[in-house]
Amino acid sequence: MLTVKNLTHWYGKSGKPLYENVNLSFTADKVYTIVGASGSGKTTFLAFIAGLDKPQAGEIFLDGENIEKIGATNYRKHKVAIVFQQYNLLMYMSALDNVLTALAVTASQHKNDKQYVLDALKGVGIEEADAKKNVQQLSGGQQQRVAIIRAMLVDANIVIADEPTGNLDDENSAMIVKLFQDLAHKHHKTVIIVTHDTKIAQKGDVQIKLAERQFMVS
Amino acid sequence: MNYLKRSRLYLVHKKGQSLLMLLIMSAILVFVLSGIIIQNAAITATNNVTKSAGTTISVAANRDKMFSQMRSSTAKTKTLTTPTVANTKIKKAGSLSTVAYYNITNTASVNASSFDAVSTTTGTSSMPSGGPGGGGTTASSGDITINGVSSTAHTTAFTSNQAKLVSGRNITASDANTKNVVIEKELATDNSVKVGDTITVKTTASSAKKIKLKVVGIYKAKTSSTSMPGNDPSNTIYTSYTLPASISGTVGKSSSVTYTLENSAKEKATTKQIKQIIANSSFSVSSDDASYQQLLQPMKNVQAFAKKIVWLVAIAGTIILGLIIILSVRNRQREIGVLVSLGESKLHIIGQLFAELFTILIGAMVVALLLGSFVGNKVGNQLLAQQQTTSVSNTGSTSGAPTGTPGGGNMPAGKTGGTLRGGMTNQATTSAANKKALKTLNTSITPSSVIKLGGMGLVIIALAVCLAAVSILRLRPKDILIGE
Repeated sequence: MLTVKNLTHWYGKSGKPLYENVNLSFTADKVYTIVGASGSGKTTFLAFIAGLDKPQAGEIFLDGENIEKIGATNYRKHKVAIVFQQYNLLMYMSALDNVLTALAVTASQHKNDKQYVLDALKGVGIEEADAKKNVQQLSGGQQQRVAIIRAMLVDANIVIADEPTGNLDDENSAMIVKLFQDLAHKHHKTVIIVTHDTKIAQKGDVQIKLAERQFMVS
Repeated sequence: MNYLKRSRLYLVHKKGQSLLMLLIMSAILVFVLSGIIIQNAAITATNNVTKSAGTTISVAANRDKMFSQMRSSTAKTKTLTTPTVANTKIKKAGSLSTVAYYNITNTASVNASSFDAVSTTTGTSSMPSGGPGGGGTTASSGDITINGVSSTAHTTAFTSNQAKLVSGRNITASDANTKNVVIEKELATDNSVKVGDTITVKTTASSAKKIKLKVVGIYKAKTSSTSMPGNDPSNTIYTSYTLPASISGTVGKSSSVTYTLENSAKEKATTKQIKQIIANSSFSVSSDDASYQQLLQPMKNVQAFAKKIVWLVAIAGTIILGLIIILSVRNRQREIGVLVSLGESKLHIIGQLFAELFTILIGAMVVALLLGSFVGNKVGNQLLAQQQTTSVSNTGSTSGAPTGTPGGGNMPAGKTGGTLRGGMTNQATTSAANKKALKTLNTSITPSSVIKLGGMGLVIIALAVCLAAVSILRLRPKDILIGE
């Protein structure tokens, strides 16, 4: 379980908090969606729980252990997987190599298991021929599916996604949302999706609205 | 070791960029290798010059002392007496490890008996010869100069091509205590003397004794430079150093010796040792390393220049590569951010950069090894030719100057004055040095130069990666990957 305690943050020396004393908990088998207007601080919040940045005050615990104690690099390597709006794949590699690289870097259970990765990619509609192509030759929807498979196959139990459908059409968006739901419901991961799209937000098991410096769970 | 795989995938995917980097690094390494092999060749050549330059140490009569002794003499007829030193001392000095070989010189003047001396000016054949060195001595009034040496092949006249054996054989150490001689071609032709014939000379003493000499060789002298009226070089007969000593009544002693060194770098120490062994104030011990210095200077200049090439190219190469990688890192920020978000350590990312450059370095080394020898050879020889020209023009302006250095102890005493001897010796030295001067540098790639090149290459890429690492370590993944 990922727990946020008394998280407070403000930019620079302004002293005006972006949000104050945020307390949230995220459990496995659920899709959490965080929705908010642009500039509300939802991506900044994602950076904190992904271990990419540190808040001005407050603590984040994973299964009772402070993530600062785990160490940011170690936390990112073993505990959390991130899916970005821009897919953020390694452009000089194939889809297969992108996933294998992630498995190797994170020292995951299935590292070096090509067939396992190919099967997983096939499961999201990426055939072996496409899997071995350079990712730049794939469509946006295919690239995002590769990014999700990368997050799914690593051993991390928490998957955080930042506007994962931002660049996709409705059909691809629906497919991606389904994949995230499968990650939570079938693979028992904690999925946290940050989005400004209310339609996507409604697909979450738990919806969190960020407005006026407050996180409201519904 | 995933970063190694990533580096390979990156290089394969970015073929154009990799090829460009390969060309840049190859250019850097070709010049570094050229510098290294030129430097090595110059070092080898310097060592060879040190061994083969033929620096000599001459032990000869101290002329100032000889004249002052003659002037202070109370005798009615003032005689210039040439001092002698025991052959045992000469041989002891000759056995020093730094001495390659030595040449004992004794001279005597005799008159032709069974043949006629060659005369260059009418009526001079019977005139007493001898320059300032021989003036006033009854022993130097003959028309034939007996030049006794240990080995004719090692005399200055022969080594500088002023004299060349045309028939028979040279005088060697084994001719000691014999009456074997080598005579000049003109003298032999004029008197129809051949190798194997016997000629007779008379001593110049009041009770002249006849001495039969066996001709074992004939040499040809270049007469133009030393010809003086009544003093034709053709009248110089070479024999073993023991014969003039027996004519002068100084058996077991000699008047001068020239030691040729094994290693020119040991000139000062050997001079000191020889001085101690000779231990005779009537003799001056002087060294002549002009040839060595003349040969050494261009090598040293080439060596210094090659060293500068290596350093300049290495420094410039590091800066160029560093800047290229820094630019490349800026273009690869997103890739670095993705890897960091996956939990990859920044050290591994730097390791990936290093591995990429290392792979390119291997390729560049192959190119450098293929081209380096050619470029090094061209640049090295161009450099050497330039240095040799500078060196010759510098020495050319000073050769022949009246320095008064002894002529290696091999010029007949009493024939020419000190000033002339000095001038002639310088010309001979310059000529010998020019003859020995390296025309081409032997630039070849050795295992040690490959190791040096590899080492330099590694240092260059390590420094370049370190420069780039600063910007990688400063990157914040949130800034790269997430923007609201």
